[in-house]
Amino acid sequence: MRGKARGVSTTIRWLLQAATGILLLLLLGVHMVANHFIAEGGIRTYDQVIAYLSHPVIWTWEALFLIIVTFHAMLGVRSVLFDLGPSPEAEKKINLGVAIGGIGAIVYGLWLLSQLR
Amino acid sequence: MSQQMSVSRPFLRRGWRAWFQVRGRHVGYIAFALNRLTGLGLVLYLILHLMVLSLLTRGPNAWDAFVRLAKSPLFLLLDGILLFGILFHGLNGVRVVLVSMGIGVRRHKELFWALMGLAALLLLGGVWGMWHV
Ligand code: HEM
Ligand code: HEM
Repeated sequence: MRGKARGVSTTIRWLLQAATGILLLLLLGVHMVANHFIAEGGIRTYDQVIAYLSHPVIWTWEALFLIIVTFHAMLGVRSVLFDLGPSPEAEKKINLGVAIGGIGAIVYGLWLLSQLR
Repeated sequence: MSQQMSVSRPFLRRGWRAWFQVRGRHVGYIAFALNRLTGLGLVLYLILHLMVLSLLTRGPNAWDAFVRLAKSPLFLLLDGILLFGILFHGLNGVRVVLVSMGIGVRRHKELFWALMGLAALLLLGGVWGMWHV
């Protein structure tokens, strides 16, 4: 592939995509089971969400999940967009766009979680 | 990087329309395209999900009204589609990672179908569960 002089190499990016993907198997698996399948009625009410997040280990787990899933998603979006064959300038915009989008989502998500402690 | 990927990428450079030309492609390509489609679908879901979660900051009434809505048949249908996306993308992802590490390369087709069988079972179990809560 192209672009050898672009900071992180393609191989490392692919490894990060793969490693975060495998981590997500566990993180998302637990998230789905906890919030959906064992939650009474299939989805938690407000009080139940607060009670669930009041446990520090669970809170940390959800925060970790937020960070990893956003990272994996933004890396993925980037590689889909790069496959469309953008110009070097467009590539820069894509990099900036996914970085801002990703950091924005993480900051917002952490803020949300901090409100629900 | 997985072989199937390096084979398909030059194709993708032709623009987004080439993604949808599935005729004459083999399972590997369809798996790649579906992996991409489900990945993007999950990103869309994540964005909507994070937006909806902001209701939690507006207290019990706002969130619990959403919870009632989320139990409607339309939402359950969307949930089923979401579950399909997660299972396909996640378990196909396992195959991509294994094969790229050199595990199961010669039997990657069997690996694919075994994982898809597992996905189908989990999907059926999940959908059954959804209608019985
Ligand atoms: C459930 C666990 C998951 C696993 C094991 C996983 C694994 C992977 C792997 C291995 C790839 C690279 C595929 C390739 O290059 O051929 C990938 C790509 C991708 N993933 Fe995931 N993933 C998971 C969850 C998610 C979630 C939750 C999202 C979205 C929020 C997501 C979004 C994406 C996107 C957008 C791509 C790029 C697709 C492409 O390049 O064709 N993934 N995933
Ligand atoms: C339909 C099944 C799902 C249900 C019922 C559900 C429900 C919830 C609830 C109640 C919360 C807030 C409490 C908490 O942080 O645990 C939450 C947070 C979260 N969910 Fe889900 N979720 C589902 C699927 C997903 C999927 C598929 C993803 C990933 C693509 C996801 C990503 C997240 C993230 C990242 C957070 C943390 C948000 C934050 O940091 O503010 N969820 N979910």
